[in-house]
Amino acid sequence: MHRRNALRMIGGTSLVGLAGCTGLFETRSARAPPLPENRPDAVYYPTHYEGMKMPGMKEQSGYKCALTYSYAHRFWLMKPNGITKVDIQPDDSVHLMPIVWDAETGIIPPDINPQVEITRGGESVDQFAPWPMLSQPMGFHFGDNAQLQGDGTYTVDVSIGGPSTRRTGSLAENQGNATFSFDFEFSESALNEISYTDIPEDKEGTKGAVELMDMQMLPSSQVPTPEALSGDVRVTATSGDAKFVVTVLDDASRFGGDSNQRYLAVSPRTPHNRTMLPMMSLSGELRRNGASVFDGILQATIDPELQYHYGAVVSDVQSGDEFTITVESPPQTARHEGYETAFVNMPELQLSL
Amino acid sequence: MKSAVAIGGATAFSACLGREEVDVPTGPDDLSSHPERQHAWNDVLPTDDHGNVVAPRHRVLLYLNYRHRGQRTEEDRAMTETALEGVEHAYQRSGNGLLMTMSYSRAYFDRLDGALPQSVDLPRPEALAPFEDPELDTPDAVVHLASNHAQVVLGTEEALKGNQSVLNGVDQPDASLTDVFEVVDRRTGFIGDGLPTENADDAEGVPADKVPEDAPLFMGFKSGFEKNQASEDRITIQSGPFASGTTQHISKLQLNLNQWYNQDDRWQREAKMFCPYHAENDVIEGTGDNLGDSSKIDDCGPTTETAREMGVVGHAQKSAAVRENDQPLILRRDFDSTDGGQAGLHFLALQREIGDFVKTREAMNGTDVAEQSAVGQRNNNGILQYIRTESRGNYLVPPRSLRALPPVNPSSDRQEVGDASS
Repeated sequence: MHRRNALRMIGGTSLVGLAGCTGLFETRSARAPPLPENRPDAVYYPTHYEGMKMPGMKEQSGYKCALTYSYAHRFWLMKPNGITKVDIQPDDSVHLMPIVWDAETGIIPPDINPQVEITRGGESVDQFAPWPMLSQPMGFHFGDNAQLQGDGTYTVDVSIGGPSTRRTGSLAENQGNATFSFDFEFSESALNEISYTDIPEDKEGTKGAVELMDMQMLPSSQVPTPEALSGDVRVTATSGDAKFVVTVLDDASRFGGDSNQRYLAVSPRTPHNRTMLPMMSLSGELRRNGASVFDGILQATIDPELQYHYGAVVSDVQSGDEFTITVESPPQTARHEGYETAFVNMPELQLSL
Repeated sequence: MKSAVAIGGATAFSACLGREEVDVPTGPDDLSSHPERQHAWNDVLPTDDHGNVVAPRHRVLLYLNYRHRGQRTEEDRAMTETALEGVEHAYQRSGNGLLMTMSYSRAYFDRLDGALPQSVDLPRPEALAPFEDPELDTPDAVVHLASNHAQVVLGTEEALKGNQSVLNGVDQPDASLTDVFEVVDRRTGFIGDGLPTENADDAEGVPADKVPEDAPLFMGFKSGFEKNQASEDRITIQSGPFASGTTQHISKLQLNLNQWYNQDDRWQREAKMFCPYHAENDVIEGTGDNLGDSSKIDDCGPTTETAREMGVVGHAQKSAAVRENDQPLILRRDFDSTDGGQAGLHFLALQREIGDFVKTREAMNGTDVAEQSAVGQRNNNGILQYIRTESRGNYLVPPRSLRALPPVNPSSDRQEVGDASS
């Protein structure tokens, strides 16, 4: 028999065992209240936000990994023609988030998709590759709802492989494979200690965002402010409520060009929180005096200074050049509440540099 | 109740005999009509209305280690051949009877003196994606048993282990495979309409109510379309002492069906298994039987285009890139599994060279599109999100006349083999 069914039938102390019981049902409904009406096609204040806990942190092969969790969440997956809502399932116990970052730079690489395996007493409990996700309080992270079997000690193994996005500088050297193993002492009462903050009805659904959580010891998935961004920052513009900052670096040598060429970089980020926006297909055309001088893809790249961005090597950038950015695919990351209607329809940007 | 094939053993076999009321035809006394290609199964398997070969429904893989420490001995070779012939006398060579291959790993050949001929490409197994860390299987040999009847694979296994003096009414030899080999692993599974839902309770995390009742595989879609399979000719080694043989790759994949069925929607499943074009244009009905004899990947467009413009590429779409003379390079004989209480897939593929498999698998990684588009390392990258590779192994399926403990390079001692099999 299905082990989970067995647990359910003997009605143990697990969360699963209680599924359907009135008290829990109410709690869960409260954690997935009705969505605000008339959500804008922009970043908006969600109905509520939640804290998280961190059972542990490990370091290996040039990476650090923190295991974090919160309440099971509803979220949305991206499609070319819209989004798919993922509801909390009765068996979901927690939202599990393994945060992996480069130990030297503190950069969270969105191209390394961790694999999670949860066991208890050597028996497999759940295994999955968490989704790349955007959340207002957590920023960019990998996460998914996990199905545990009640209170107890679990082993959570987080495995990572090699990168799949172009990297520069010291990041290029970090190709490591690693497995981080955590003891995860789970109890429903500890879960229920995690903060749950309701957002007043008159504020939810209006434009704006909950601030990033203050996560001591954890790095941030923010990209630099326009002022702090390397190079000659030329322009900032908005598409689909995402901010695009365009900067020009004098020396393209670390991006596959040479020192006489320029590197034209585009750094998209969420409004309000400056969270990086990875997993887009961006292309650009640079025109001078009516003629095209560059027309091609802007390649996703992780650089220690620019961090996650999209860019291309060009021979030169002159004052008055016209630069068109086309978003062929918006960020394919899953979205938590408040981000699912933004960065979906993203019209092209026509900029003067 | 756990399926009999997954459990195995004498009790499961007799339970099956009682339950499956079938008369399995016996094999011939004279086995000389059995083809030299062990993998020549298609001629004796039925086809569906579209001309697709219907794969045998029940499977057992026995992983074997040669008990003898040194070079192979003639006595062991003869015993192995006798044991294999015993079950061939008992069951007709067909889908309703028994289909079987005996294969050998690089680890087996490495223990023998000498080197494999140039005409055989059999590297040691390795990880085939930057994001996987599989166990590398190194048994000496693997027997693949296949039949539409559970009792046939179970009975064969029992006979090969020396536990059946009579099989299907046919006397079995004293020699058994387990006199020569130790069974170090046993993997089982099934493929065919309705079997995934029948077996859903044996595995954790199978949303039994979501897997279509008539689906042949856990992920809900048909595979193995005639036009997406290499022919048996294409996968056969053409020259050298192992001509008429083939190579075999077996990986054990764990499936995440929770994300696949409870989080993704039908559009996403179609786009990721086939391609976004199919999802967008409602090309696939149900499990995809309406596709006929191909997955219609010509309509999908190039992966680079859908990766850039739609942010997603399909599994079948990626495979379209790996063709030679418009034919795929590998012949899939994979099947689902509930081994270890996990929903899984034993991806068994035959190809002329292991290199053909590596090329095909590399295309599945979608490394190029992940680097140049919104498609992630796993996210929206075919079905990589839902699959974890647990183990990989490479094997040579020698021609039938060399299936019992083959020498490493028969050309140097072909006479011996000729004498032995005459």
